[in-house]
Amino acid sequence: MQTLFKNIKGDRLIWAIVALLAIVSFLPVYSAASNLAYKGGGSNTFAFFVKHFMHLFLGFAIMYGVHKIPYRYFKGLSLIMIPVVLVLLAITMMQGTVIDGANASRWIQIPIVGMSFQTSTLAAVVLMVYVARYMSKIKDKKITFKESVLPLWLPAFLVLALILPSNFSTTAIIFLMVIVLVFLGGYPLRYLAVIIGSGLLMLTMFILVAKAFPDAMPNRVDTWMSRIESFSNAEDTEADYQIEKAKIAIASGGINGVGPGKSRQKNFLPQSSSDFIFAIIIEEYGLIGGLFVMVLYMWLLFRIVIAAQKADTVFGKLLVLGVGLPIVFQALINMAVAVELFPVTGQTLPLISSGGTSIWMTCLALGIILSVSAKREEIKEKEENIEENPLEILSETI
Amino acid sequence: MAVNEKNILNRLYFIAGCMFVFGLAVVFKLFSIQFLQGEKYKALAEKRVVKDVVIPANRGNVYSVNGNLLATSIPKYDIRIDALTPSAKNFTKYLKPLADSLSKFTGKSSAFYQKELRKARANKNRYYLLVRNVGYTDYTRIRNFPLLSLGAFKGGLIVEQTTKREHPMGGIAQRTIGYERVDEKGNVTRPGIDGAFGVKYLRGVDGQRKKQRIGKGQWKPLRDANEIEPKDGYDVYTTIDVNIQDIAHHALLEQLEKYKADHGCVVVMETKTGEIRAISNLGRNKNGRYYERLNYAVGESHESGSTFKLMALAAAFEDKLVDTSDVVDTEKGIITYYGKKVRDSKWGGYGKISIARAFEVSSNTGIVKAIDKAYRKQPEKFVDRLYDMNLNSDLNLPIIGEPKPIIPDPRVKNGRWSGIALQWMAYGYGVSFTPLQTLTFYNAVANNGVMVKPRFLREVREFDRVVEPFKEEVINNEICSKQTVAKLQALLKNVVEKEHGTGHRLYSENFSMAGKTGTCQKDYSNKEKLNYISSFAGYFPAENPKYSCIVVIHEPDKSVGYYGADVSGPVFKRIAQKIFTDTPIVDEIETLNVKKSSVEKEYEGYYQLAQTYKTIMPNVVGLPAMDAVALLENMNVNIKVKLQGSGIVKKQSINKNIKLKDNQTIVLIAS
Repeated sequence: MQTLFKNIKGDRLIWAIVALLAIVSFLPVYSAASNLAYKGGGSNTFAFFVKHFMHLFLGFAIMYGVHKIPYRYFKGLSLIMIPVVLVLLAITMMQGTVIDGANASRWIQIPIVGMSFQTSTLAAVVLMVYVARYMSKIKDKKITFKESVLPLWLPAFLVLALILPSNFSTTAIIFLMVIVLVFLGGYPLRYLAVIIGSGLLMLTMFILVAKAFPDAMPNRVDTWMSRIESFSNAEDTEADYQIEKAKIAIASGGINGVGPGKSRQKNFLPQSSSDFIFAIIIEEYGLIGGLFVMVLYMWLLFRIVIAAQKADTVFGKLLVLGVGLPIVFQALINMAVAVELFPVTGQTLPLISSGGTSIWMTCLALGIILSVSAKREEIKEKEENIEENPLEILSETI
Repeated sequence: MAVNEKNILNRLYFIAGCMFVFGLAVVFKLFSIQFLQGEKYKALAEKRVVKDVVIPANRGNVYSVNGNLLATSIPKYDIRIDALTPSAKNFTKYLKPLADSLSKFTGKSSAFYQKELRKARANKNRYYLLVRNVGYTDYTRIRNFPLLSLGAFKGGLIVEQTTKREHPMGGIAQRTIGYERVDEKGNVTRPGIDGAFGVKYLRGVDGQRKKQRIGKGQWKPLRDANEIEPKDGYDVYTTIDVNIQDIAHHALLEQLEKYKADHGCVVVMETKTGEIRAISNLGRNKNGRYYERLNYAVGESHESGSTFKLMALAAAFEDKLVDTSDVVDTEKGIITYYGKKVRDSKWGGYGKISIARAFEVSSNTGIVKAIDKAYRKQPEKFVDRLYDMNLNSDLNLPIIGEPKPIIPDPRVKNGRWSGIALQWMAYGYGVSFTPLQTLTFYNAVANNGVMVKPRFLREVREFDRVVEPFKEEVINNEICSKQTVAKLQALLKNVVEKEHGTGHRLYSENFSMAGKTGTCQKDYSNKEKLNYISSFAGYFPAENPKYSCIVVIHEPDKSVGYYGADVSGPVFKRIAQKIFTDTPIVDEIETLNVKKSSVEKEYEGYYQLAQTYKTIMPNVVGLPAMDAVALLENMNVNIKVKLQGSGIVKKQSINKNIKLKDNQTIVLIAS
């Protein structure tokens, strides 16, 4: 144990926040498990507990392993991974899992292990690293739009195009995150406008094609439409049902919550242990619990910003932000859905929601961040003689 | 595009700031849901998640006077299958076995079920009906059929339980036992006893239990105990005697079928207490079959015809205006009042006869003339006397639908009174009573003038505890003087006993009856439609009556017969006869052990032999074989007797007077 702790590098506070989130996650996941077990016809809720524990354990193993890798290697890795990810995405799309006649192929079976894996989540991390690499590569150059199309936007749009038919919200978030990252990387704003414009144009075209030839390929356009419609109008739809249950859960939680495991809405909220877990947390632990989780994510955001500040290279900075901001952003989206600030999407609450892929990819991203901050520590150790700025000490500790 | 760290950081602060604001927005929305909309959603939570489930109280049973079940509630099951729930593997595996089992159960072919179930699955039918309305035993059987035995979540079994009211005695007295039925619009129909006492006794109080939804359409109880415990309904013990009811039902049915009558009813009432022992109402349906349709006995008021002559004479006797021995001229069978004719059924009339005889032969002219003479000047007096005998009020029965009797009154301007009202009333026209109202009067005569209210209930019980006993209710302690009652009783007895009586065909040496026939025209305003109501009201035995009874049969086929004595009388007789065999008038019978001399003699001989021979072989030739065996086996030596044949012993293997030894075998040959 002692040696393990010694070997832990990087921002200790990020480690702490992640550990806290992981510990917190057990409560709602285990609570929501009772309903899953009941619906599954089994009676073993502990199996869900063990499964979640295994997911987290593996996640921490990934995080630990990744943070030991010097972050400069990620440049090369991302180059290799982009084609791999594209192939995986293509395979995922081809296998064509269908939910209610709509394409919902987000998962790929890992051979041998027998687990399923959400490829888009991996693709997001890889793409962000790739973009960070590109942006840092061109940091000193003045580039034209044309120059950036092939190495930057082509892979990005390819990835997005492969995810879009099955998962609009993830596509949108990745797109937004890529935009944010290139914005941070100093990409000219007028080019950005072009990109956003063309992105919207492509989306519109996709929707039009999907509408015009509904049988050409299974897609979820109708689902998105209905979800967005239900968000904007007052009619009762399935999404409204989910949101209503979520709001009931939040309202019945009150300030202190109804207590661990006593949630009622977990029985009716679909995806109570993933998409709507925030509502369950509030129902069981009240406003206090909800705010605690919110504070943890905000704190994580703060630590990511600090880690970016301190990163020794531009690549390091962009890397930390590229993989770090999506975690917090996704968390915010998830919470926003629960409080009806946002239409219903299938975004999980990173680290808290059950589900292997989400946890592992979050851990992968955190591992990358920690790897960057570990590098900084190394440098710092070498430069012990640098005078200490009191503000810096403060920001190191909170 | 030179990017420096400052540049990145500035942009980063902007982005981080945006995210922080987003976070704040989430928190703000969170607060707003909790504090601004909190109450609304909390209420919604209760509404969506918690419901009050009514636990229906068990409806009480209805019993006969002897404790037989007349109406009870039993659970029935509808069994359905969710054809989508079973996995494809299970479905294919169990389809044939399930279809086979169902086929065995219902008799439809297995192929039919296989086809239907496949179709249900293809059509995504999640509610396919397998069987309806099966009892508990069948339900447990079907539950264990292949596939269904996997349960609701794997096998798709859907079971819906309902409670059905059953009448274990079948169609007998169904209308009087009754039921409570609610149609889709929420209108309740409550005929019969079940209906009348449903709300007050049988129904009980429904319980209530809060249940919380736990997804998948399942609800779990919120607390251990029910919020309101259901209170089961009380049991109602009626006065109906199943045996008498059965007799009455079948006697009436037989007669209705014989005369192809439209409908009819029978009521048997215990004289002293007014308890209704049997009430049968049979009406014909389109196919000419009879079943309990309406409660005619309680609800159908009709002109009485000749049965009312008893009431008319009762009034006249009581007013001392007419006496049995008064002589009246029947005037060749036709008397005209204001141009309307009163006719006798016998062509040419009966000549000059006494009032008693006029009643016994049911002479319309005789009775009408006597009443006319007595009350012509003072019809109010006649009506008042009828009122005094409580003939104008209904019986205030718990069973709904009893109309009030109709008696024309000269003082009441309702169009019923006319110049001939009194005369017509005298022989039962213009007045209207239900069979039960008529019977109540006849019963009062049988009961020496004490009019008791007919009643259907003996007591209301909760298990063994009597909640409410029902005592007999006296309507009128003395409807008329003792002398009048005696006269009326004599008249009624003579109707059956005297050879000239209209009811003489019912006469039997073995038991006595008293009663009055009634043949009343119905729809007489239109000759085409003219029909009859044949009735017979009376009681039995004639002395110390135990039961009174009325039989009313509407619209018998005229070609077969329509006189009260022919149509209704036999029903009355059959009931009386059958009840009599159950309750003989003579309680004591001389001993059946009449000594027969030959038997006596044989026994004497046997006894003599048994006393004399203990170890020495007697002569048993000529004795009955069974006696011989018994004799030998009871001797003081252990011998074996072998008997060949039966009857009288012809030969014995050991001669008489030989000393017998233990374990010796004697062979007897009998023929």
